[in-house]
Amino acid sequence: MDKTVKIRTENLCFSYNGRAILCNSSMDFADGEITAIVGPSGSGKSTFLLTLNRLWEAIPRCTLQGAVEMRFNGRYHDIYGRDYPVTRLRRQVGMVFQVPNPLPMSIYKNVAFPLQLKGGVPKENMRSRVEECLRQVRLWDEVQDRLHASALDLSGGQQQRLCIARALILRPEVLLLDEPTSALDHAAAKAIERLLLELKRSCTILLVSHYLDQVSRIADSVVELHNGRLVSKAEYD
Amino acid sequence: MNRTTEKGVEILFFCSAFISALLTLALFGFMLMLGLPLFAEGRFFSILTQPWAPHLGQFGIHPMIAGTLAISLLSMVFAFPLSLGCAILITVTSKGWVSRLLRKAVEMMTGIPTVIYGFVGIFLLVPLVREFFDAGSGMCVLTASLMLTLLVSPTMILFFCDSFERVPVAYGTAVLAVGGSEMQRFLHVTLPHSWPGILIGFTLSLGRALGDTLIALMIAGNAVQAPGSLLDSARTLTAHIALVFAADFESLEFKAIFACGIVLYLLTTLLVMAVRLLSGRKERWTR
Repeated sequence: MDKTVKIRTENLCFSYNGRAILCNSSMDFADGEITAIVGPSGSGKSTFLLTLNRLWEAIPRCTLQGAVEMRFNGRYHDIYGRDYPVTRLRRQVGMVFQVPNPLPMSIYKNVAFPLQLKGGVPKENMRSRVEECLRQVRLWDEVQDRLHASALDLSGGQQQRLCIARALILRPEVLLLDEPTSALDHAAAKAIERLLLELKRSCTILLVSHYLDQVSRIADSVVELHNGRLVSKAEYD
Repeated sequence: MNRTTEKGVEILFFCSAFISALLTLALFGFMLMLGLPLFAEGRFFSILTQPWAPHLGQFGIHPMIAGTLAISLLSMVFAFPLSLGCAILITVTSKGWVSRLLRKAVEMMTGIPTVIYGFVGIFLLVPLVREFFDAGSGMCVLTASLMLTLLVSPTMILFFCDSFERVPVAYGTAVLAVGGSEMQRFLHVTLPHSWPGILIGFTLSLGRALGDTLIALMIAGNAVQAPGSLLDSARTLTAHIALVFAADFESLEFKAIFACGIVLYLLTTLLVMAVRLLSGRKERWTR
């Protein structure tokens, strides 16, 4: 059975300060799968993720050519098109970074923050959504009695799970993860792997990882980048 | 760096800090000593409340305290929103060369001597205020405040820009990554996190406004009266010190200017302490 393509990139070229980071990258990513992006350091893996939610636009001296299309509500959208607001895109494409980046506010506010920015969500609903996301990332039991304590006081693993919960509260259709377990211990990394396997039922996941054993455990397909070029794509059974 | 060098550097820094603190205290002590005749006669506190009438033996400085507070506080009312807006323009809304150009212009303004601002005030702002309001000479609290605004704003803008830029990039990225706009990033993360820097910038600028002599001396009119309106002429503590100092020496009138110095010193100290208290509290809130 043919898989539905969720993300399609065509001849994607990206340069920073005149230096090419991605060259003619054309790839398709299937819906509801975990695709691992591997490759040596500096091969453009993280940059590639940034092109999928336009977060690179916050960095000066960057240029991008080519096209990225994503399938939302049954049809493909050019995410760089003028009629596609970047804020809407980033609500549909969540991102988790290598180093956890909780905001300097309480645990509760960190998770509720994206909903607050979006607006239009009643307070009671917000509370239940926060609880739902914290349960999803297995953090609820650890923080339920200190929701109003600073998120900066959590451990590294807890902070990363909090950041995943923050990304999930908007119910994104695509989740970009840039080495989310590299700063975590074995147990915390395992917990996040289990979480990703559950999440792929509801969203498409792109995971940058250096750990090939992790990739073989959870990924459905693997894309290898080298010097900004796609060198191979393989699928696991 | 070996341990001995490290210890040496530590001692050097301690000595620098100690000498600075000692000099500040010595200044205060010096003023107290020179104002001693007033304290000895038990006149210090009456000086704070009496009018200034040397021919009647009254050396009250309360009109000057009122003038100082009116001019400096009004200048902060103008300068704070102006500086905040400019800093937002430089760091948030404008990008690339526009931002760099604006910042360079502001940096250049910090180097302009106060007397130039004074001249601009006399030849440009005073006639404008006089003609616009059609009242008085134009040398008044409003004119001096506007000119002081121009004088203190560049420093305040640079402080604000600096504190906005010190906010960790990761916080801003986190906001953008969940669909926040640039302005939401600024309002929800940058601004609350820059609060201590904003307070310090505000305090230093207020300190400069309180301590500025030349602008007030040149364009506030120097009338010894507590100003009743923005268009009234006023004399600040610093201008009063300069005026009395230029014309007198040794008399009790001359000794009274040390009371001005003590009041200025205490005002600035209170201000710094209040800001330290506030910024400490705010830091606890953001943790």
